Amino acid sequence: MSDTLHPAVETVAGSPRRYKRVVYGIFTIGIVGLFAGMLFDMALAGTTIYLFGTWLGTGLAAVLPRVSPATLTDERDIATHRHASGLTIRLIGGLGIGIVPALYALAAADLMTITPSMWGAIWMGSALFLVWGGCYTYVTRLR
Amino acid sequence: MQTDLPERREAAGLSQEGLADAVGVTRQTINAIERDRYDPSLALAFELADYFDCRIEELFEPSADDE
Repeated sequence: MSDTLHPAVETVAGSPRRYKRVVYGIFTIGIVGLFAGMLFDMALAGTTIYLFGTWLGTGLAAVLPRVSPATLTDERDIATHRHASGLTIRLIGGLGIGIVPALYALAAADLMTITPSMWGAIWMGSALFLVWGGCYTYVTRLR
Repeated sequence: MQTDLPERREAAGLSQEGLADAVGVTRQTINAIERDRYDPSLALAFELADYFDCRIEELFEPSADDE
């Protein structure tokens, strides 16, 4: 283990399992803080915790694998992320293709109303697909 | 992918951690390969074969559900 690392950093960077627990834990604290802030009408405190968690988590995730003498991430992590990303896009795609046209048809027939929250989810899913399409095109051209 | 990696590793007197360090992956990845839960990349398969001084096809064999 490197002599230049702070002992706390050295502890986190010493094992892949500990590294993942700490990084994911910090992200979780940030996200839970954001929602808690919204729920208890403390938006500024929640946003501060969120920004602290996401910036610290992102920083640790970017820096620790580079400074740690131990192997913290490897090809299996990349494969797992790719698999999970593919599964996410298939799941959202399946739900979008299977449900959204039916919602439009039911709304057009005055059998239901698409609420603002539902519109939000539809737009978010569509935006995600647009970003995925852009990334897919970019990656395809790289190969 | 079926493999005799555990036997070769134990014959070499290595722990999963030791082999992981030698080929530059995590112990969890070696464990996943040995338990047939992860198929290594071609680069890692070459690395492992090189480490045990054998050919890839001696180390790995497609299982029935890979075909």
